[in-house]
Amino acid sequence: MARQTGIRGALSDLAGALLPLSLRDLGSEIDDRMAKIPSELNEYGYDRFAMSPVDARSALLNAAVLYRYYFRVETFGIEQLPPGGMLLIANHAGQLPFDAAMLGASLFLEAEPPRIARGMGEYWIPQLPFVSVMAARSGHQVGTPENCTQLLDAGECVMVFPEGVRGMNKLFRDRYKLMRFGLGFMRLALATGVPIVPVGIVGSEEQNPGLLNLERVANLFGMPALPVTPTFPLLGPLGLLPMPVRYRFHFGAPMHFEGDAGEEDAAIERRVNEVRDALDGLLKRGREQRSGIFS
Amino acid sequence: MEKILITGISGGQGRLLTRRLLEGYEVCGVDKVPWEGHPRDVEVHVVDLRKKKFEDVIRTEMPNAVVHMGFIRHFRGDEKSRHDVNVRGTKQLLDHCANYGVQQLVVLSSSYVYGAFPENPFYMDEDHPLSASRSYPEIRDLVEVDTLASAFIWKYPHIRTAILRPVNVLGHYVHSMIGQYLRIDRSPTMMGFDPLMQFIHEEDVAEAIALTLQHGLQGVFNVTGPGQVPLSVAIRETGGSALPLPEFLARPAFERLFDWGIWPYPAGALDYLKFPVTLSGKRFVEATKYRPLFGLEEIFQSLVR
Repeated sequence: MARQTGIRGALSDLAGALLPLSLRDLGSEIDDRMAKIPSELNEYGYDRFAMSPVDARSALLNAAVLYRYYFRVETFGIEQLPPGGMLLIANHAGQLPFDAAMLGASLFLEAEPPRIARGMGEYWIPQLPFVSVMAARSGHQVGTPENCTQLLDAGECVMVFPEGVRGMNKLFRDRYKLMRFGLGFMRLALATGVPIVPVGIVGSEEQNPGLLNLERVANLFGMPALPVTPTFPLLGPLGLLPMPVRYRFHFGAPMHFEGDAGEEDAAIERRVNEVRDALDGLLKRGREQRSGIFS
Repeated sequence: MEKILITGISGGQGRLLTRRLLEGYEVCGVDKVPWEGHPRDVEVHVVDLRKKKFEDVIRTEMPNAVVHMGFIRHFRGDEKSRHDVNVRGTKQLLDHCANYGVQQLVVLSSSYVYGAFPENPFYMDEDHPLSASRSYPEIRDLVEVDTLASAFIWKYPHIRTAILRPVNVLGHYVHSMIGQYLRIDRSPTMMGFDPLMQFIHEEDVAEAIALTLQHGLQGVFNVTGPGQVPLSVAIRETGGSALPLPEFLARPAFERLFDWGIWPYPAGALDYLKFPVTLSGKRFVEATKYRPLFGLEEIFQSLVR
């Protein structure tokens, strides 16, 4: 990386010197792993989908700090990840998508080789200034079937949370209960022939317990959900931040499916339920094994 | 030797194409302005496509093939007359092609007809709807031209008609909107947005047209170049710098300044600085084995500042 000169350079050197040693180590760890990502980058450092590890470095560093020091993530079975294109299917919870950010960090920090997990976002994300750029540089796209197919064909790893917003804003009493699954991911797996890897995320479902979801009020304002938690809206937007629960990722064995992507819903749903059952098993085992929610 | 008639022959792209085609074809052309210093063996007729005189040119030249690129793509003149020149001019040209035994037609459309939207998937194919008029009504004439030509393919299947939709064209001779924009010292950008953009060199566009003629292609084809970068990289690599403006200021400012005629880009163009319009060029590559000769670096360096 080019060294900055002048006052900015001096300031950044000073900032570097003041950083705790572990954080500087984390920075160089990130640089090392960035060089090993298998995604194909062009001469300007971008992949076909506008992802750039260099531009996303600060986001990766922030995620890595949360990953190591806040959620203190443990992974199980990440060595089973197949090379090339795959669909990661995980449970979704916790009011804000820290689970997605941490799963992405996990693939970057712990998988061999490091992978960029591609998120499939909502249509409004590209319309938000700054967020749109950061999302694209970090490898996230609008979740259209065309984009997902192209990513999988390019050998990329796509994260899907088939519970969607139903999962993210589920109530505390429903924790680790999988909500209805969308079917789209299975059609894409059949169309592209990539394996599905279920990932049970344990921890996120307790990070910000939902007591109520005021769906009607949310609809009125065109919001996806309006959760009420012990801290939100009581403490304002800060109340949406998660408690320092420990995250545990349980990666399942890759599942292979064959068949016609255009089959009727019932036939697709049968296969979706196989994935759902596998995920359910991972979550059960993960909850039984853990020593505590925060420890 | 087959004879090719080029509309818009005096423009940068027309001149490049003429030079490229002269090796294997007899070339003539029409334009509303003369081409000073055109090659001696190239006949250049100064006519308006909408006038009877253009019909006479077709009747006497009797070209085997027509390459149609005589469009007004800038906004300097009157909006209504631009629409009339582009749409009615194309309609007249299509009629003459059908009436005077033209065997092959190539229409140079562009990637802009798809429109810039947040929901655009990456690398859209030729079947993606042409929605530009929804957010950028000022270029609806170019969408109509593309649509007229598409209908022509079905109406006259014995005439091999190809519509080419190249991505952002840059180069020394071509006066493209994106080229002008990148030549500004401080190109206004939309703060917080940085869409992926594909580029192609003007010589590769000429090559693509030549390949289309050579292969006798029929149908609609996206034509892509060597690759894509975010807009900010294109601005940097062409030696400019970005002037990021918040949208709530930029949009009304663009509207006013455009209305007063002191700024050449309508507000609808802003969406192309926000959302990506990226195309899949697979169909054209499979049909012609086309490979762009110019890389991104050469493309950016070809913009003389």
